[in-house]
Amino acid sequence: MSIVPSAKPAGALYWPVQAHRNIGVRALFLVVLAFLVAYGVLFPGLFTASGFAKFTQSWFPLALVAMAQAILMLTGGISLAIGATVSLGAVIAATTMAGPLGVAGGTAAVALTGLGIGAATGFIVVKLRLPAIVVTLAGSFIIGGAALLILPRPGGVIPAWLSDLLAGDTPAAFMLLVVIVVLWKLYLATPLGLSLYAAGENPVGAYRSGVPVDAARVAAYAISGLLSTGAGLFVAAQTGSGDPVIGTAFTLNSIAAAVLGGIGFLGGQGTMRGALAGSLLLSLMISVMFFLGFTPVAQYVAQGLIIIGAVAIPQIRKVQK
Amino acid sequence: MTAWNDSAGGKRVSAILKSRPFLTLAIVAAVWIVASFVSRGFGAYGHLRYLVELGAVIGLVAAGQTFVVIAGGIDLSVAAIVTVSAISLPLLSWQADTTGLVSVLAVLALTTAIGVVNGLGVALLRVHPMIMTLAMATFLQGLLIIIAGGSAVTAENPLVHWLGNARPAGIPAGIILWIAVSAIVLTVMHATPFGARIFAMGANPLAASLSGVPITSTTLAVYGISGFTAGLAGVLVLGMNGQGYVGIGDPYLLASIAAVVLGGTSILGGLGTYAGTIPGAVLLVTITALITVVNASPGWRSILFGSLILGLLLLSGREQARR
Repeated sequence: MSIVPSAKPAGALYWPVQAHRNIGVRALFLVVLAFLVAYGVLFPGLFTASGFAKFTQSWFPLALVAMAQAILMLTGGISLAIGATVSLGAVIAATTMAGPLGVAGGTAAVALTGLGIGAATGFIVVKLRLPAIVVTLAGSFIIGGAALLILPRPGGVIPAWLSDLLAGDTPAAFMLLVVIVVLWKLYLATPLGLSLYAAGENPVGAYRSGVPVDAARVAAYAISGLLSTGAGLFVAAQTGSGDPVIGTAFTLNSIAAAVLGGIGFLGGQGTMRGALAGSLLLSLMISVMFFLGFTPVAQYVAQGLIIIGAVAIPQIRKVQK
Repeated sequence: MTAWNDSAGGKRVSAILKSRPFLTLAIVAAVWIVASFVSRGFGAYGHLRYLVELGAVIGLVAAGQTFVVIAGGIDLSVAAIVTVSAISLPLLSWQADTTGLVSVLAVLALTTAIGVVNGLGVALLRVHPMIMTLAMATFLQGLLIIIAGGSAVTAENPLVHWLGNARPAGIPAGIILWIAVSAIVLTVMHATPFGARIFAMGANPLAASLSGVPITSTTLAVYGISGFTAGLAGVLVLGMNGQGYVGIGDPYLLASIAAVVLGGTSILGGLGTYAGTIPGAVLLVTITALITVVNASPGWRSILFGSLILGLLLLSGREQARR
């Protein structure tokens, strides 16, 4: 990308490249903005401090799993184990934080578990050349089973002050998201991050050009695991306890958010800001349906229809061009 | 594959011995022999027959899944379709229909239609198969709760009851159904122009399209078949259980995909055979039965199941490097 020989300083290429990447998601940004405005008009509480805090908190875990799925899809992978990993993160947080490990130790345990699971999955998929869909589907049973072993039924405790900090009337969730996005930008500037798109778009070409394809893909799985267990920690803090099946819905929602955000299944297509916008759109739709008094059943039906529609419309327009 | 072109019989035999379906069959045989030494009663004829009968349900779901996967797609809505079939059958019955055949046909038409809608989304709206079928599963899940209201339904359909319980000549009707479906599926897959088109489409959709393969109608047909076989599996599982409830089909999603992949069909499409899926389905029920014998907590059972599938994948499910 920025290796193109040019008389201009390297920085001058940055914005044109970014603008080019924005073309695909511009319409999405407009839709999200329209939804946000509509939401703000319908529920003016959004513009108070606590309303904003609550809104970002309901979005935050979905944003994390959307990023977790998007980073895999950018490298040409996929995970059907995100939901189980979220559950595992939640039960580990709920069982360790009130114990001798404390909040710091519990957070470390959650993070290390996520990194470890992700790296192991990545190793199996990349080095042993097994199809990602099947590995992560089998993995979801192993991870979900581990969550059931740690906490057979909902329980455990998250210290009250942590719940207040993360899920109280503070914008902590939003701040964390900003920090994560900045970290993502920094990661993209490292050699592994730069290899990410290349490894997804054209693995053979990238490999022959000396790009560390395998390392980039394994690292993507590790980061994805970390983001998933992190989402689990947050969900546990929101509810104040752990639940071994709380993350189940996140598998479909993570894929839906990433695809709504313009991430392609073939790797190397899409941007993280698109995935974040996709997760925001999905979160808004779920909130609006909840406030409009849809029953959970009607929400299922509507969600299925909306996802198909949102994915199909840009495709149809592309074909018509 | 060069061995097939040589007329020498020895090479043909060695090609069969090295093929994925045979490998899966060998694993099943090995597991059965070891398990019958370790656990008394496992190797009894009645128990093995029961395992194959359970495998028939997975095998039926996996038949459609094999078609879809070879054509380069994936169907994540099969579990929901099995449930739709098992729940809507008691609702679609008429007094005049004494054999129950009409309501079975009506249910199969319904599930085939659901499959065709999946195909429409994939072929015409160009939604990725994974999204289309997952969204369909979500949609059906909501619809099912509206229809069934969360309670179990009982089938009083003579044909369904016969299918789940009768044993003509000592062989369960479910196994006979599976054998019949297998024969049809293998014939369609390997001996008809339609089968050849599916392989061509899965290997390279663009080349297939340029060579005159009607992509749209073939995609519709493939997902329609998947809906049909999942519906058939739902009828069978209703007959075996006697009751239908929301979630009855849930175990068959992973099972159908795992059976396909364990049987040597490439998840990337264009390569594979239902002849491998058949032992793959039997292998899966064998694993489940072994785990039940171990008598562990649900957590350990889930871990064992996932690990065994992963281990078996290492033996038989590896993708060849396409470089």
